[in-house]
Amino acid sequence: MQHTVSLTALVKASLAAILIAAIALVTFILPAEYNIDPTGVGHKLGLTLLAEAAEASPAPPQAKISRAASKQVIEITVPAGKGIEYKFHMNQYDKLSYEWMTDGDPLYFDLHGEPEGDTTGYFESYAIATLDSMKGSFTAPFSGSHGWYWNNTSDEAVAVQIIVNGQFQIIGLNP
Amino acid sequence: MLSNSDRTYRVLLLLVLTLVSANALAHGVDDSTRSFLQQNTGVQFVPFLYIGAKHMLTGYDHLLFLVGVIFFLYKSRDVLLYVTMFTIGHSLTLLWGVLGSIEVNAYLIDAIIGLSVVYKGFDNLGGFKRILGWQPDTRGAVLIFGLFHGFGLATKLQEFQLPEQGLLTNLLAFNIGVELGQLAALVFILIAINFWRRLPSFERFATLTNTLLMSAGLMLMGYQLTGFTLQYL
Repeated sequence: MQHTVSLTALVKASLAAILIAAIALVTFILPAEYNIDPTGVGHKLGLTLLAEAAEASPAPPQAKISRAASKQVIEITVPAGKGIEYKFHMNQYDKLSYEWMTDGDPLYFDLHGEPEGDTTGYFESYAIATLDSMKGSFTAPFSGSHGWYWNNTSDEAVAVQIIVNGQFQIIGLNP
Repeated sequence: MLSNSDRTYRVLLLLVLTLVSANALAHGVDDSTRSFLQQNTGVQFVPFLYIGAKHMLTGYDHLLFLVGVIFFLYKSRDVLLYVTMFTIGHSLTLLWGVLGSIEVNAYLIDAIIGLSVVYKGFDNLGGFKRILGWQPDTRGAVLIFGLFHGFGLATKLQEFQLPEQGLLTNLLAFNIGVELGQLAALVFILIAINFWRRLPSFERFATLTNTLLMSAGLMLMGYQLTGFTLQYL
């Protein structure tokens, strides 16, 4: 069964635990992870290189992914009498070609973009029409969320299939 | 007795095989996992199951805590009870954290997870009994720390800003994956500990092991708290 060690052993164990942790942190972990190297040991061991390498390429993985072009087929449904948005995050000058079609009925839509971090509600429209399909492409004029607003004024749900190809990250539905 | 250990070996063999194949698939999986999470919408049951299991099996902070929890549990019934408490705890906050979009600081949560390891190591040494004269309820502690481990899991998923579409199903798949990963890890830990218990060195090194557990927990805390501090500098 679980034993209770003597007070001396407990104090010794606790101090040893703190000491080992402190040494490992100061000499290995902090230099390698954060380039914090008070003793200089991390530098001598070459551990600070790890942290420097991480700092030198601060490209967030999201940006890396959005650079690589990818193709996606997305199916959404616009409920009867409702309007929904489907958006992608794109960096400035990212390109997107698209093709979409409804399962029959035409829908009112507004293809637009909203700048990142904007709180005024500003948006820029690239295309506004009422159609049952459309094909095209655009280059994002600014970083932010870009995509469609669809409005279904009929009394039946309309399915939309979207095929996109380009540099983007899916944000998804925004009812 | 014989059939019992026979069964154990069979389970072990099965798990080893599963792991080997999983590892073959997992080659260079981090980037692919990330791009998968960011580019796929809709229900993706098995992939999320896999990500959850992988996260648990490679998450040393969760595993260290589990080692601490079952270190002195000799009866299977106790192991089951304590692991259930841990599972209830982390499932609650994983689901609540992601579905409720609860924003918790990942560094602070991971520091608390480190603290849970320190706590359990200290508790295993009988530290609370010695210092306070009584031991805080161990089941309660596992449940409460389980809640924090769940928030830790939630912050990892939230980093990916998952689309709303199919979120609940994907989240449940991730959660089930976490439990499967935990079960697989647990089998290994239990077999190792049960084997070690028969040897005289177990008693001799019990104090040392728990001291190292505390130390590892302190390292995790120092690592995460430094990260937290740097975030605001």
